[in-house]
Amino acid sequence: MPRDSNCWHCGESLAGSVVAHATVAGQKRAMCCQGCRAAAEWIEQLGLSDYYELRTAPAPKPDAGDSTHDSWQDADSSRHVIRDLGADLRETLLLIEGVRCTACVWLIERSLGAVPGVVSVQVNAVARRARVIWQESKITLPQLLQALSRTGYRALPLDAGGLDDLRRSESRDALKRLVVAGFGAMQAMMYATAIYLGAAESLDNSTRDLLRWLGLLVATPVVLYSARPFFTGALRSLRASRVGMDVPVALAISAVYAASLIEAVRGAGEVYFDSVSMFVFFLLTGRYLEMRARHHARDLTDALARLTPPFAERALEDGTFKRVGIHELRVGDRVRVAEGGIVPADGVLLTERCRVDEALLSGESATVTKRRNDPLIAGSVLEDGPVLLRVERVGADTALAGIAALVGRAHAERPRLQVVGELAAGRFVARVLTLTAITAAVWAVFDPARAFPAAIAVLVISCPCAFALAVPAALTRALGAMARRGVLVVKPDGIQALAECTHALFDKTGTLTEATLSLGELRTFDGVSHDAALRLAATLARQSRHPVARAIAAAYPAIEAADVRDVTTHAGAGVSATIDGRTLRLGRSDFALAGKPLAREFEDAVLLADDRGPIAAFRITERLRPEACAAIAALQARGMTVLIASGDSASKVAAIASRLNVGTWRARQLPAEKLAWVAELRETGARVLAVGDGVNDAPVLAGADVAIALAEGAELTQASSDIVLKGGRLDAIAAARDIAQRTLAIVRQNQRWALYYNFSAVPLAALGFIPPWLAALGMSLSSLGVILNALRIGSGDATPRTARPEHSPAEPFPRPAA
Amino acid sequence: MKILLLLIPLSLAFLAGAIWLFFWAVNNGQFDDLDTPGLLPLDDAPRHKEPPP
Repeated sequence: MPRDSNCWHCGESLAGSVVAHATVAGQKRAMCCQGCRAAAEWIEQLGLSDYYELRTAPAPKPDAGDSTHDSWQDADSSRHVIRDLGADLRETLLLIEGVRCTACVWLIERSLGAVPGVVSVQVNAVARRARVIWQESKITLPQLLQALSRTGYRALPLDAGGLDDLRRSESRDALKRLVVAGFGAMQAMMYATAIYLGAAESLDNSTRDLLRWLGLLVATPVVLYSARPFFTGALRSLRASRVGMDVPVALAISAVYAASLIEAVRGAGEVYFDSVSMFVFFLLTGRYLEMRARHHARDLTDALARLTPPFAERALEDGTFKRVGIHELRVGDRVRVAEGGIVPADGVLLTERCRVDEALLSGESATVTKRRNDPLIAGSVLEDGPVLLRVERVGADTALAGIAALVGRAHAERPRLQVVGELAAGRFVARVLTLTAITAAVWAVFDPARAFPAAIAVLVISCPCAFALAVPAALTRALGAMARRGVLVVKPDGIQALAECTHALFDKTGTLTEATLSLGELRTFDGVSHDAALRLAATLARQSRHPVARAIAAAYPAIEAADVRDVTTHAGAGVSATIDGRTLRLGRSDFALAGKPLAREFEDAVLLADDRGPIAAFRITERLRPEACAAIAALQARGMTVLIASGDSASKVAAIASRLNVGTWRARQLPAEKLAWVAELRETGARVLAVGDGVNDAPVLAGADVAIALAEGAELTQASSDIVLKGGRLDAIAAARDIAQRTLAIVRQNQRWALYYNFSAVPLAALGFIPPWLAALGMSLSSLGVILNALRIGSGDATPRTARPEHSPAEPFPRPAA
Repeated sequence: MKILLLLIPLSLAFLAGAIWLFFWAVNNGQFDDLDTPGLLPLDDAPRHKEPPP
């Protein structure tokens, strides 16, 4: 592990500038900042240094000082985030930023649990939420948040009665219903088996009646309790005058149950308590699997929940400021935002000018200069300040809330595969019910005594369980298989799109190459010293957050005071500013020189220039990701066309493309041009898979058929993508595509199989050839077949873990299947 | 077959007990998070009881 080139705590590249050292587990480790040092020492002092052995991802970088904690002191603003459990106990739900692996959970639980007054801490790694119970007499909420931020995690208290409770009760209810149905089905099957065997062994009538009543006893809770979601769902869709899957299912359940009930009371004919319980159990299994997949997907993208700050500083009449909760803001309020703060609501700038980062909305990773009366958007980050703004839109009316609602709606929607499957199953059940009615009617003419049993046999044998399980079983299995390979599917629709894509469009910087760049060669002109050129360039580069600028800034860590004015960032070109009275430009050669000619060899270098001409040329080196070659070769071997689109110069892109054996590439592409290329490809009938990491890739990702974001990239990029790739493992894409294709194949296989089974079984049942035990057996076996078939997805072909060594010392805890 | 009259009520009682136990476990949050407790076996006794000020 390259311990000296990266910060031991947060893994950030040190670029030769070790700021601090801390002793962890008896060894001196290099740290990139004082915050990391403090966090590492705190962890060490708590005796929790095992964290560094357990973790599978670098720790979050701690913030130097977070003043917002104190705001929670105010009883008014904290009331809605604290639940009173009585007797001095309070409960809070925290959304924790920076939970990256399960070792984080361990660290948070231990370090917070050690704080006096904390009664219990429960962290959910997947949902990134912590449930903390504490004693009010011993500790306050701000102290709690403070303790957490010392280890480097930022926490945001969530509304106490929020989403989680709803979700918790949903999953608890589903589990209870499932288990009641499972136990009921088992017992009912036992009694039914006795009856079926007894029919051959001449069971006496009183015992047979007893067994029937017992069947009724165990099936009743299954129908009345476990199957209730089907009945309420059927009622709801009837009221909305739609016929979904619930209506025919509810009809089938009640018909079989009522028929069996009548037979049990009459003491004649056949009872189907085992079938009806099994029926409910299989259907609930499908629902449960689907619910878990849905919850899992939603956990991954709650990024938008914390893009706006919980507080704002409102200007009062007398010119002072008061901190208020964001929900208290009204249109027309004047609000102050400090430097580095987040704009709390959409508004208009009242101060002369400021620079903001609107990356989360525009997808452009560059600061924008705003002047008086320009609009500011909630969620954008202020680069300088403080500024004053007048609130124009608040809460649900802001542009950000609109995006959040879009993302939320996309997640609330059920996968297309699922919807199509359900529609097919609903139609199928409706047909079966018709068929049952026809069977009963025909038999009523020829032999009324056999009408009822034959109709019920048709209903039981053709149960839609196999149909209902086909999609969720395959989807759940696929999500789990992909998660084990480091591919997190955020939107289940992505599986279908991934299987069908024909072209793969890669971003170069940060995607095919490592996220951090380093400064390679430096050439100066006109006898300027290396040091002086680097100092100027680094001062200028600090004004931008572009990876190239960061590489230059990191090469000259000593910060010297300079008079920097008129900083302007030109998207895709560079940055310009006036430093100590001299107008300087840093960026692409055509931008920096403003059209002046230059030797060809510097065309693709980063240039520092003033109005007189070039001062220095920098070469930025980037390393290919170790897996990039194999990943691209694997995709090409599967018949996909691989393309590269980059904002970088032609020679650099060509070099990378030839190393990767990629024939088609475009250089010097702006985000809009990349998007146009995707649209162009799609018009020719191609299905495009886009892979990117930064916010500047967000438009391309949104325009592609399926979008894959790297987990190291920007949060919003991840939120707008279909699939998130953990640890930059590009080689997992090909494996994930194989799994997706197999999933689609298996879903189709399952559906076809269920159809064939029903085609062959229903006529026999209608003719009265199927005894009840065979109907029950057929029903169970068809469902079992579907589940076993789904288990074939992702089995046996697991690729060896090739997680990048510097970030993943080991992965001792394979994540369980979703 | 008289033994059935003892065995069946017994099995039903077991069943009711099992379901009651499961409901108790679900209501106490035993099934809320199935991912995190995989780490619990690694929870050594804390070496330092009191956190530094």
